Amino acid sequence: MGTKRTTVDVFWRLLLLLWAITIVFPILWILYESLKTNKEFFADIWALPQSLHWENYTKAWTSYKLGSAFLNTLYYVGASLLLGTFLVTLNAYALTRLQFRGRKLIWSVIMLSLFLPGINALIPQYVLMRELHLTNSLTGLIILDSFGESVFFLLLLGGFLQSLPKELEESAFMDGASLFQVFWRIIVPLSTPGIVTVAIFKFLNLYNNFLQPFIYLSDPKKHTIGVNMYHANQKMQYSTDWVTLFAGVTIAMIPSILIYIVFQKRIAEGATLGTVKG
Amino acid sequence: MAKPETAPRPLPAIRTSWLRKEKTQKRLFVLLAVGPCLFGYLLFTLYPNILSVYYAFLNWDGLTEPQFVGLDNFLRLFQDPFVWRALSHNLLLMLTIPALTVGISLFLAYVLINKGYREAPFYKVLFFFPNVLATVVIALLWAFVYDGSYGMLNGLLKLVGIDNGEFYWLGDSRTALWALLPPAIWGGVGFYVIIFMNAMKAIPPSLYESAILDGASHMTRFVRITVPLIQPIVRVGMLFLVLGSLKGFEMMLILTNGGPSGATDVIGLYMFNLAFGAEMHNYGYASAIGMLLFVILVGAKLLVDRLSPNEQIEY
Repeated sequence: MGTKRTTVDVFWRLLLLLWAITIVFPILWILYESLKTNKEFFADIWALPQSLHWENYTKAWTSYKLGSAFLNTLYYVGASLLLGTFLVTLNAYALTRLQFRGRKLIWSVIMLSLFLPGINALIPQYVLMRELHLTNSLTGLIILDSFGESVFFLLLLGGFLQSLPKELEESAFMDGASLFQVFWRIIVPLSTPGIVTVAIFKFLNLYNNFLQPFIYLSDPKKHTIGVNMYHANQKMQYSTDWVTLFAGVTIAMIPSILIYIVFQKRIAEGATLGTVKG
Repeated sequence: MAKPETAPRPLPAIRTSWLRKEKTQKRLFVLLAVGPCLFGYLLFTLYPNILSVYYAFLNWDGLTEPQFVGLDNFLRLFQDPFVWRALSHNLLLMLTIPALTVGISLFLAYVLINKGYREAPFYKVLFFFPNVLATVVIALLWAFVYDGSYGMLNGLLKLVGIDNGEFYWLGDSRTALWALLPPAIWGGVGFYVIIFMNAMKAIPPSLYESAILDGASHMTRFVRITVPLIQPIVRVGMLFLVLGSLKGFEMMLILTNGGPSGATDVIGLYMFNLAFGAEMHNYGYASAIGMLLFVILVGAKLLVDRLSPNEQIEY
């Protein structure tokens, strides 16, 4: 486009830059503050560190017990991600490509979830989980988060599955393949891009999940990174170890940053589909 | 003569057995594929939702025997000043966050799409970034902004010569609620920039061309062409944000837990603290508030659908 640049453009570009700065600056600030000493930080909150104090990171790792929190998060996020993604793919395949009695009814029951705000169910859900002895357990959380319906994921995968030609399955059935084989050997490989997008969003949802781990995990040994960072911040009222907290927040941010850098395109594509996420 | 007649005979037999085998196989597959998710959904989502209605009629601390108290919880709710205070805070959030988020996102998306700046693709990626961050991280980041002694905001103000004497933005009941707006907007805009940009891309350039020939400014084009054409997606965005500002409470839970002295208490947080908070638990009363919130949310959903102009605009 050969549009000419005027002084108004300078203004627009400055506004864009300003918004960009509100995002980049606080994050950079935390990064470089996390490498100072508390003394340096208290003296001047803008100055760059004189030397890089990486030991803040080891201190954050040990004093906020991020090691065990990291393992807990890995178990909770990893297992829910694998199990949940597998189940939703299987579910989406059956619900979008197979004809069976009750399919329509199941769809309308699932669609009902769009009208449920969820917040009013928090308490009965907790009581239910307690009766099933699934509270204060990472495995319990995995079960809660893996078995369920998500309209967003079903539609996202459904769109992919519907674009696959029907002949693929038919010729496989002719060759005597079972449904399980067709699903595993044909459907899964062909819909990998969709499955990966689902997995990325599942990862973000699980890693960023604060409320459920906060409600359900009472034993500090089972806490996830997010819950531990929450408690670390609460303790700040009594201690004034800022630089260690900065290091801890940075550590908590790293997985999100990595995932975003690697999958940025897919996340943006998935987000445009996100408007169905009630 | 006999041969061609006998030959096809075994075939139907094979086919029916094959069909029957396939049918049971399919049934088994469907059961295994649909069953676990559906069961989980019925158990962990639908059942608690139905149960929450029953809980609202109980007096129950979650441990001892529950008592059925009829409409008592609802009567108490209407006389509870904390409920109304919390709801008034929700009202403020609902009137500000959606409008500001959508407004900023529309503006950013329009400039990024229509101005063809070199840096636009980079900004598109950057602006979305806060959306992938955990609420805890966003909350702590803004806690660092608002801190009185060492916060970024006061530091910036000092740089431009304003010394407010270590003012704690989240610790003062006059500013605490307002201070919660920027984190919510900052964390939400990127998502709407992406979906609005996507919608704006679908607008045919020919529509703009005639407007440009008529000498329409960017402002006119934005108001007259862009916004009306992507209006359905704007409405969906508005709906999400309105519902979000009515039921969301994580940010408050982490940053202020409703304080100072209730200045940032919202209805979801009030309910949460009644059920899971540090003080005495009251599952029944909390559930009644949950029901009220449920009614408000469904009402808001219908209202947003009704109030915003519904006609599809095509040029």
